[in-house]
Amino acid sequence: MKRSIPLAICLIMGIAMMIQFFVPHPASVAFYDLTTKWVRIVAAFALVLGTGSLVMYHVDKLQRRRRGWYYSIVTLTAAAATSVIGLGWGVRPGSPLQDIIFSNLLVPLNSSMFAILAFYMASAAYRAFRARTKEAALLLVAAFVVMLGMVPIGANVPFFWFLVVMAGALIVAGLVTRSKALFIGTGALVVGLLVWLAFSGFKVPRLMLPDTAEWVLSVPNMAAKRAILFGIALGGIATSLKVILGIERGWLGGGKQ
Amino acid sequence: MKLFNYLLKIDRRIIYIVVGLLVMFPLVKPLGLGVTSGPRARTLFEAIDAVPAGKTILISVDFDPSSMPELYPMLTAVMRHAFAKNLKVLLCGLWVTGAGLADKAATEIPPEYGKKYGEDVVFLGWKAGVDAVILGMGENIKNVYPVDYYGKPLDSLPMMNTVKQLRDIPIVFAISAGTPGYQDWLLYAQSRYGMRVGAGVTAVSAADAYPYLQSGQMTGLLAGMKGGAEYEVLVQKAGYSKAYMPAVAAMDSQSLAHVVILLLVIVGNVAYFATRKRGA
Repeated sequence: MKRSIPLAICLIMGIAMMIQFFVPHPASVAFYDLTTKWVRIVAAFALVLGTGSLVMYHVDKLQRRRRGWYYSIVTLTAAAATSVIGLGWGVRPGSPLQDIIFSNLLVPLNSSMFAILAFYMASAAYRAFRARTKEAALLLVAAFVVMLGMVPIGANVPFFWFLVVMAGALIVAGLVTRSKALFIGTGALVVGLLVWLAFSGFKVPRLMLPDTAEWVLSVPNMAAKRAILFGIALGGIATSLKVILGIERGWLGGGKQ
Repeated sequence: MKLFNYLLKIDRRIIYIVVGLLVMFPLVKPLGLGVTSGPRARTLFEAIDAVPAGKTILISVDFDPSSMPELYPMLTAVMRHAFAKNLKVLLCGLWVTGAGLADKAATEIPPEYGKKYGEDVVFLGWKAGVDAVILGMGENIKNVYPVDYYGKPLDSLPMMNTVKQLRDIPIVFAISAGTPGYQDWLLYAQSRYGMRVGAGVTAVSAADAYPYLQSGQMTGLLAGMKGGAEYEVLVQKAGYSKAYMPAVAAMDSQSLAHVVILLLVIVGNVAYFATRKRGA
């Protein structure tokens, strides 16, 4: 019974909502209006569950003195203080929750967290972004194009000159490292540039760096993104059908029949 | 060889100082690199510009203070554009932590154009439920939000007499730092109620939004601080605002930050290959 009733509700509601989408009758619209109200109420209960889960997790961490347990004190204290202030003085503008917790604590703390990302990213890029393989090298060049093409400093740079500078940098790198692979890559790039120049009548091609960045985002990036999106959508449909038909029962949780 | 080994083991605090100085310098002394508006920002600008005066646009504030420097300028720029065109602005949010930011904008921007709360702008606040909230607003906004963020009944606000459901609103501009966000507006408001959806997103999540833009589901996209800066420039060029442009001012810093990261990557790679070759 503990499983049969939820499964039956899921099956009936799943099929009903699918049919409802295609039926514009007033009764169907009223049913839809009613169910969206139910969903909003259930979603509010999810907040209670979430808070309970958070408290239980951190209390357990404190009791067992697991690694970083002292951070749990901060989490629990912040959650308790916010709840007490919110319940006691309300959440409207001008309340301590808005003025102290939100404006004077959350805004500067969140902004600082986000701001220091720039420093970590710079440090991480310096240490980890290496052209170890052909794929990594390709990623590196694409990143260079997009990063420069998306900011004002790269707005008026022709892509051709960008590649010339890249070739120059590769030649210097090749001389320093005496790497055969680098010399071959640089040679191929120089030949490609000369061919491109010849096809443009020995005038610098008009293609600008932002246009190239746009192409990287609009063509290869989009192709990959779209494939992922289709995969997610098809997976979502398949999973939804499995849940509605009772094949996938993970959402019921553990426990006995 | 010694130099390359030193470069590979360079103290990260030196990198932090270099990045910090280069980011701060243009904020103190602007470089004036300028911002050119791209087609995605122009599409959104033209879509909002084409909305007849007196109509209402919806802005969904789906971000928190961590994305505020990147996304808040978009909110203010679009609000200034709307008020200059005599459009009404309905604000709501799918992120609870975004409510304070929408409140800030709803309080600060309308007075610049002599607009009044309740007549020209209304902030609905935040409600749990995401998809149920959007779908509910599609049927009847007052069912989902009987009162606004400030506790005033929607029936008492003159602006809400003309806006009953999503079909009364020609376009929604969803400013999203993640999920929930513009994708939910596309999924429910655009597909079910035929609303036009424009989006403002953080630079890191812009690539996710491109497929919707190319398919025509999305009407314009502001990507990252650059997107905000592009919109600010469009609004000022059209003569709709003379306000300070925070995103444009920050673009010089972002340019230098990008350049320094690229230089660091180049130096790091040269040092890596030099030491690897000699070590091999």
